[in-house]
Amino acid sequence: MKKYLTTDNIFYASALLIFLVLMPIGNLLGLVSTNTISLWGRYFCFAVAALGIDLIWGYTGILSMCQAFFFCLGGYSIAMHMLLAVGGQGVYGAKIPDFMIWNQVTSLPAFWEPFHSFGIAMILALLLPALFAGVFGFFVFRSRIKGVYFAIITQALAFGAWLIFLRNETMLGGTNGLTDFKSLLGFQLSEPKVKLGLYMISLVVLIGSYLLCNYLVKSKFGKVLVAILDSESRVSYTSYIVQNYKIAVFVISAVLASIGGILYAPQTGIITPGLMDVKSSIEMVMWVALGGRGSLKGAIVGALLVNYLYSLCTSMFPESWPYILGILFILTVLFFQKGFWGLTELLESKLSKKSVGV
Amino acid sequence: MNKRIYIITSLIFCISRLLGQNTASVDELVKQLWKGNDTTKSNALKILVTTVNTNVFPVLSAINDKSLYEYQDKLVTVGPKKPSEEGQKEMYSLVEVYPEGKILTENNQTIYKNTSDLKEIAFSRADRLLIAPLVPYLNLVSPISEKRKLAYTQFQGSTDSMAVPMIQKALKVETDPDILRVGKETIYSVLLNDSKDPKERKLLIDSLFNNWGSNTESILSTYAAAQPEGELKTYATQKAKELENKHTVLGVFQNLFSGISLGSILIMIALGLSVIYGLAGVINMAHGEFLMIGAYTTFVIQNLLPKSSDLFFWVSLPVSFIVSGIFGFIIERTIIRFLYSRPLESLLATWGVSLVLVQLARTIFGDLTAVRTPTALTGAWEIVPHLMLPYNRLFIIGLSLAMILLTYFTLYRTRLGMQIRAVTQNRQMSACLGIQTERIDVITFFLGSGLAGLAGAAMTLIGNVVPDMGQTYIVDSFLVVVSGGVGNMFGSVFSGLSIGFLSKIFESFFEAVYGKVLILVCIIIFLQYRPKGLFPDKGRIGED
Repeated sequence: MKKYLTTDNIFYASALLIFLVLMPIGNLLGLVSTNTISLWGRYFCFAVAALGIDLIWGYTGILSMCQAFFFCLGGYSIAMHMLLAVGGQGVYGAKIPDFMIWNQVTSLPAFWEPFHSFGIAMILALLLPALFAGVFGFFVFRSRIKGVYFAIITQALAFGAWLIFLRNETMLGGTNGLTDFKSLLGFQLSEPKVKLGLYMISLVVLIGSYLLCNYLVKSKFGKVLVAILDSESRVSYTSYIVQNYKIAVFVISAVLASIGGILYAPQTGIITPGLMDVKSSIEMVMWVALGGRGSLKGAIVGALLVNYLYSLCTSMFPESWPYILGILFILTVLFFQKGFWGLTELLESKLSKKSVGV
Repeated sequence: MNKRIYIITSLIFCISRLLGQNTASVDELVKQLWKGNDTTKSNALKILVTTVNTNVFPVLSAINDKSLYEYQDKLVTVGPKKPSEEGQKEMYSLVEVYPEGKILTENNQTIYKNTSDLKEIAFSRADRLLIAPLVPYLNLVSPISEKRKLAYTQFQGSTDSMAVPMIQKALKVETDPDILRVGKETIYSVLLNDSKDPKERKLLIDSLFNNWGSNTESILSTYAAAQPEGELKTYATQKAKELENKHTVLGVFQNLFSGISLGSILIMIALGLSVIYGLAGVINMAHGEFLMIGAYTTFVIQNLLPKSSDLFFWVSLPVSFIVSGIFGFIIERTIIRFLYSRPLESLLATWGVSLVLVQLARTIFGDLTAVRTPTALTGAWEIVPHLMLPYNRLFIIGLSLAMILLTYFTLYRTRLGMQIRAVTQNRQMSACLGIQTERIDVITFFLGSGLAGLAGAAMTLIGNVVPDMGQTYIVDSFLVVVSGGVGNMFGSVFSGLSIGFLSKIFESFFEAVYGKVLILVCIIIFLQYRPKGLFPDKGRIGED
């Protein structure tokens, strides 16, 4: 007889019930504040990025430490579009974003031009990270840079990108980043209805990405990824071209991160280089580690849980958040290598064993 | 302005001659300044001002600054401030103003006093106004060296010929070589602006050129611009150009020096990282935090030991080695030993460790603290004019050299080093041969972290002590380790120096940021050809 009350099913049912039904209805009835909705909407964006990290790190064993950079590429693209779309509504009423006026720039830099159109901005938001990951991956994987070397190189990459985005003369807003978005496709971002809408879109995208990743993982492609994790050399002996699989998974994870960024920027209303520093990328990896590496649900749970904990702790005892996060890091890596999700699975198997025993 | 002063002073000068009042001895007059009543004080001051006697300039200068005091029957003013902590009273050294300008000492120790402990000798505003015409010259003999320097600079470009004898007199007692050069520059430039004789002018341009002060280039080019076309103009322009070229050449050397300096910092951090990774297969993201611990140890020791001496710094060097080493030992035993040969996991766990340590430092010490640079290491060594090698940087280079030698000696000349290398190459085989691998691990970790702590103590010389100071260099040091070849000491040294050099060379062409990005590109291209770094590791860790 098929069992219906598995952890998986409980997870699906309760997650869908809470996030897809209860929270939006609660918001419409005024029981759940728009702030909370917007907050969770952002967590979903992180979860999308976390799915990508789980694919590349959890399934393939490649530790990429520049995922936050890809996340920001998406975020900056959409932010640039939003800033241009409201042209003329800034403090100075100029056609160009306000920060450029502060920097004594009079005309729009050429690379901002394509972002006038929403369609092109979206395409670029997806294409840039993909292209970047593709080219970078090609060179790195071709020369068989792997393991720690790859982690350190990507970390340095994130560091370099962060430095470039920090500069004023790169025309990306410098330290302050891009902010003061008014509307997206004609919708006023400050309206609660629009916020709810973005929340729903983020949730749907998260579900979609989950289904896609699930499909990928179960497909032959996913099996090869796991094989690479287990033993890269054996996979290459069996005439698979490991390099191509690695590039592919790197590109997919970059695009997923970028999708998260695209949805994130309109909901926060600001995007700064602070989101793409070395620390952010490691934290993203830690969501996956805490949630459960090698399990897509774990990645989602990890991203949601850590971020929820973060806003909880920073409002209650702001000083102690680094302690909590740091100790969680250490404990997870040392004792719960399967993360939170692995823990629940362990519990489940123990419980079911007990019931069998009875 | 200067002309007016000249007229006034010379006028006063003549009057005083006529009155014949300067026959009263200067000693007597000075005595009246602080022993007499208001009227005699005022009179004495008037005469002292009119005689334009440079010997009493320090006295007048002090009166003008309202800082003339009486201390133990001596006429003094306040000199350079004593380095002190916040909240404490500001303590100044005392400089006798007459008859000789020497810093007061007691048992060979400079006396420091707060101004409230001294008896001020006050003068009325009207009296002080009497001195006003002399003020530009008074600062030439101020006990504060910055003021003297500024005073000389202010005369540059003027044509006030009266200034020349004043400056010459003041220069006679000047001892600071830096200010001496500024003063000479000033004299030459004033004479040059004043001179009409072409031969003398050329000579003066040569003197300026040979003296080569910091403003010489601009003085010469301004002079050249003001001259009509002719031999003199071309001569001045040519000399200015020559100096500029010299500057460029020196700039290259200065850059090279900064490159070595940066490289040696990277090497100090990378040495420990590299040895630990090679031995244990652990990427220690918390390595930068051992640096931070070393720096804070120095800070704590500075607060514990007497403030006035430099002893704290020399004490803190070995202590920070030990403290950081102990932290490393604890972290190795509690966390890292479970992560051997799992580099990626170790990277994440140690990142957690680093978060905790940084926050711990922030909780205990706050956001920003600074350690005083010991006097022996302040200042710079000027090999040739304008090529300054700061002593603190030189010390760091020396220290890193010592660390490299020490590490080399330990690794290649001792039994312990042999065992470390054996475990690095093959852990199981070494264990079979009776090497206690766990013991080796612990010792190596202690040494590696200790080296980082020592580097941290040295880093207090060139920057503030902040909780996340370790993270400034950690990405770069990882790049050093990766491009040098993991677990290889020579690789780290070589690539540390190359990265330091390259960064500075790129920085001189581009902005610092783009320099960094270019370095990264270079490293990625380099790794295309040598994926395992310069000197690939022959041990087991490097394999899949």
